[in-house]
Amino acid sequence: MKYLIVVFNLMLLAAGGLAMAAPGEDTVVELRFENRRFTPQTLNVPANRPFKIKIVNASKEAIEFESFKLNREKVVGPGETATISLPALTPGSYDFYDDFHQDVPEGAIIAK
Amino acid sequence: MKHYSRLAVFALAIPVASFLLSRPSAALDPFEFEVYPYRTVGRGVVELESLNSVVANGHRNAEVGTSKGTLPSQSMWRTAFELSYGLTDRIEAAAYVNLAKPRGGDLQYAGSKFRLRGSLFDQGQLPVDLGWYIELDYHRVPEFDDQKLELELKPIIQKDFGDFSVMLNPIFEKILVGSEEKKGWEFGYAHGIYYRWMRSLMPGIEFYGGIGMIKKPDPSKEQQHYIFPVIKGELSHGIEYSVGPGFGLTRGSDRVLVKFNLGLEKFFGAIFGPS
Repeated sequence: MKYLIVVFNLMLLAAGGLAMAAPGEDTVVELRFENRRFTPQTLNVPANRPFKIKIVNASKEAIEFESFKLNREKVVGPGETATISLPALTPGSYDFYDDFHQDVPEGAIIAK
Repeated sequence: MKHYSRLAVFALAIPVASFLLSRPSAALDPFEFEVYPYRTVGRGVVELESLNSVVANGHRNAEVGTSKGTLPSQSMWRTAFELSYGLTDRIEAAAYVNLAKPRGGDLQYAGSKFRLRGSLFDQGQLPVDLGWYIELDYHRVPEFDDQKLELELKPIIQKDFGDFSVMLNPIFEKILVGSEEKKGWEFGYAHGIYYRWMRSLMPGIEFYGGIGMIKKPDPSKEQQHYIFPVIKGELSHGIEYSVGPGFGLTRGSDRVLVKFNLGLEKFFGAIFGPS
């Protein structure tokens, strides 16, 4: 009985590790940050399919791409590119913004 | 709807299993009532946090409840200052200074902690997001904790269900220097479930506790288990908070604690490139 708690936690870890999702060809959409704005400001993605966003920071300052609704955050240094993976989304609009610069206009990911 | 039924099973199973299978609680750190998410502080970002708790209704004898030294827990105020830095996209380092104010006493230095924390794989790549955590705890004042040096390891497990996030931090702790250094590993937990309602206001429930030694758990009534209804969120200018009362679920627990954590996050500059 005393080992059950350890086994229980190891099982949780194993479940995560063993059940790794099969790699697939996800749609990749590009989002560029330049002149204190995201381009495009509206990203259209297919609903119900996982996809990736390639964030290109073409500015001279670091940004933090963040989406509260999608629970994603990523710091992208000046001149750097980062990619984030997103799960299949139900149709709808999901906000994103630069958490380091609150004057930067928000953007939206539209899944349809 | 499917999300919510899976969430309900997951959310109920974890704390119930932890509670039933476990008994406390040296692995419970009363200086830090915080559940860690999968995601680390961003690369080049510095976060300064003040982690505070006060025992509103505790015990008047030492080594009961959250007391780990010769001072009783009743009215004990604890503050930890934590400075974290995002080394890479996946690894952060942090240092803590722990302060405590016993009933009728002054606020004084209690010890320090140093840790590394990381995330494995990209977020969303696995069915659950996984991270790791390794910490060294140095206890300077035996009145607050009579074991000198401890090692703490914890896997970090997170799963999002729609607008809900479930975070699990099982805790494995080993005394490296102290009168109990020959004893084995202790087990504890810090788990949380949160509803991502608004960025500035996320209600949740947190669970903290411990069983004592894995090989020889403490008797059930001496264990500590707590439930904290909390609200947390992120305000403008990088300010974050998490507050809530905690209620002891066993006789060995303090009856009521209050926690209030405050953090400030700012980009400082990266020393390593993207990973």
